[in-house]
Parts: sequence; structure tokens; C-alpha cells
Amino acid sequence: MRLLTHNFLQSNVKGTEKGYPLGIERGAELSVESSPVNRNLVLKMLNKVDYSALVSITNNLREERQEDIPELPPSLPETLEEETIANYHKVLFDVQLVNGFLVCPDTGRKFPVKDGIPNMILHEDEI
Amino acid sequence: MTSRPELTGHASLFYNQKEARKYHSSSRMIGVQREITERAMELLRLDPNTPALILDVGCGSGLSGQILEENGHVWLGCDVSRDMLTVANNTAKQQSQQPPKEESMQQDDSDDEEEEEEEEGASTGDLMHHDMGTGLPFRPATFDACISISALQWLCYSNSKNQNPKKRLLRFFSSLYTVLKRGGRAVLQFYPETADQAVLISETATKVGFAGGVVVDYPNSAKAKKHYLVLSFDRSSTQQQQQQQRPLTTGMHEQQQQQHVTVGSTMEGANNKKKKAPKKKKGVKTKEWIVHKKAMQRKKGKDVRPDTKYTARRRPHKF
Repeated sequence: MRLLTHNFLQSNVKGTEKGYPLGIERGAELSVESSPVNRNLVLKMLNKVDYSALVSITNNLREERQEDIPELPPSLPETLEEETIANYHKVLFDVQLVNGFLVCPDTGRKFPVKDGIPNMILHEDEI
Repeated sequence: MTSRPELTGHASLFYNQKEARKYHSSSRMIGVQREITERAMELLRLDPNTPALILDVGCGSGLSGQILEENGHVWLGCDVSRDMLTVANNTAKQQSQQPPKEESMQQDDSDDEEEEEEEEGASTGDLMHHDMGTGLPFRPATFDACISISALQWLCYSNSKNQNPKKRLLRFFSSLYTVLKRGGRAVLQFYPETADQAVLISETATKVGFAGGVVVDYPNSAKAKKHYLVLSFDRSSTQQQQQQQRPLTTGMHEQQQQQHVTVGSTMEGANNKKKKAPKKKKGVKTKEWIVHKKAMQRKKGKDVRPDTKYTARRRPHKF
């Protein structure tokens, strides 16, 4: 699962007020594979992401994998250089959560992620 | 259609490992899925030059996602069958491991180059294991568009005592309304078993605030007949679009081609009624009712005025 997808996910368990952003439990297995940068795509997606959530999750992940994950500026810069775009591309598309847990910030409900696929299925009593 | 897999039980039970692999390698399925997805893309009317973020509900093994990818869009698929997702995941991995094809043609301008990159880059899709009947777990106003290929009919069946098809449909559509960007569109292709199911589905979609209707392709053929539920926010543009995009038909029976089940017109009727209703129901709009209604709108992610002591207070008689 990409961090891009993580940025859109929101918990909808019964009893959540906002359910956003989901935390990633420590010790999660990540994979970083580089792929060609598509400038247009990155710019388009940057418009859509919740920037503060993206920065906070990147900083959390950087505590464990500092060498792989680039640091992001705390607020979106007005002019983007090629290097910054490459960094954004890396964070949004290349960093993948393979195994681990997503945690709802309100209820603490954990959503397991297995082989890169998050399981967001709710039980009948959680709706 | 003689046998319906929907009647055999839950989708995740039907699409097990064996069935999922069969589905993904069947050339007939691939052909049918491709055709439907291409038609759905046509109905979505996206700008082909800008990449969009598309939600694929019931993505299965990612056959429809491949077509979205070819068009340069980013997609996010969810499905209730884990085995189908595993197949999709494996295919995506294989694709990214394959060495990029050599570019034999010389590129003339930079635009071409970018397009090439899109095709050769790793998959732009991402997958998620999720049951659409429990509401989509996304931030409000996230997606530019939504497609769903041959999945919606599964919501019309209940597989356990506490699953109510109507509630599940309502939950799905209201969450879809929330996660779609204003001005976005959703095209959902489905196979209704009976006419009632098609009506139930389109009615539920209207109930949550969508405008749109069902487009039927090849209405006179039992096998090739396809239902597309086209949903949007803006009602006037939908009606225009319905005029432009007639259902496809086999040339012979062109007179019979128009079989729209238009929801748009019933919507207008409903609106007229709403204007009259307050006169009759004076006193029903209590403070609690208004506060509740505002809370519901807030939940949908809309901008709502805060609740104050003035909420639901009547105006002085003259202004």
C-alpha cells in the first residue's frame, strides 16, 4: 500500500468522530522501490493529499527508516524544484507498506495490512 | 443468464482461489471486462490529458484497473474477495519486474515522452480489501471519479441474517456521495436479476442526493445487455449527457434503442413536492431535527454553520 493511498484512507468504525489520519503501528514492514518520476502525476496528486497528514506520517516512518525516506518540508513550497518533486514521488508512490497495522486515531481499532493489501473489512457490530 | 453466482453466497466465498485464477486467465472474461470498462470510461467523460484519481469498487483481479492505467489514471481498487486481490497483486508485481520495453520510435516532443513513461512505470493502482456494503473508508471529496464493473448487484443479496440489502445499498451510496469530489462522476455497471433490482439501486442513489440514471446498452439482447448507472452531482449536465450518449444498439433494432430508466425526471418531481411540504408540516422542524440534520451534513464533509443559540429560532415577524 502506498502512502498516497494511506493519505486518503479514513476509518469508519462505529464511534469514530473523524478517524483521520490513520496511524501506522511501529515496526511495520516497508518496501521502497524506485520507479520513474512522472512530474504531472506528482503535481496532480499533491493537490489532492492532505499535506499535514502526509508530513506527519513521513516523519513517523523516518524514525525507523531514515535512510530510505526523504524528508519533506513542513509546508508545501510555492515553487517546486525537480529534486523536491522526485522526493514527493518517492514518498507518495515508492514507499510501500507491506505488512503491519493501520490504527484508527479515535477508537484504536487496528486494520491489518498483509502483502501490501490493507484489510478494511468491518464486522457487523462495528458499523 | 442462467446461473447467478450472487445466489450461491458471499462474494468472497464464490471468488475463491481457484475461481479467481480462472477469472483472470479467461480470455472471454478479459474481453468482456475490457469492453465494459472502456464503455464506462466513455461515460465518465474524463479529460484524457490530466491524470485523475479513480476509485474502482469491486476491482476483482484488476482487469478494469489495467485499462485505467493505460489511460494514465491513478486508481484505487477495493474488493471483498481476498483471493481476487491476491491475483491482482501478483499480476502487478510481475508487470513491475518485467524489463521495460525498448522504445523503437523516436519521440518528437516532450508530451509523448511523458506518456511513454506512464505506460512503462510501475502500476499506478493500489488495492484494498473492503466490503462496499459497509461504507467506503475515505476522506470526503477525494476521488475524481468512480467506476464499478459487475459488482453492484452483489449488494442486492443478503448473505446473513443481519445484512439488509437496502441498508447496505444506502450505506454504499451515501459514502460514495461523500468520497467523490463535487462535479465528479460515477459509472457503475451491474447485472440486475430483475427490473426491481435496477429500480432499487437507482432509487437508493437518488435518495442520497445523486442525479443520473441507468443507461442500457443492447436492450434487446439477453446476453449483451448491460446496465450502467451513471451518477453525477450536477443534474442539468447529466440530462444533456443522456441526450448525447445514447445506448449502443445492434444496428437492426434502432427504433427500440431508448430504454432509459431516468431518475432525473423523478428527481424534479420530488423537488416540487419538497417546496410544498413545509406548509403542511409546520412545526415539524424542531431544533433537535435541525441540529440532527446539520450533524448529518457535517458528517458528509460539507460546510455547515455552527450550532448556536440562534439555531432554529424563528425570525421576528417583520424584518
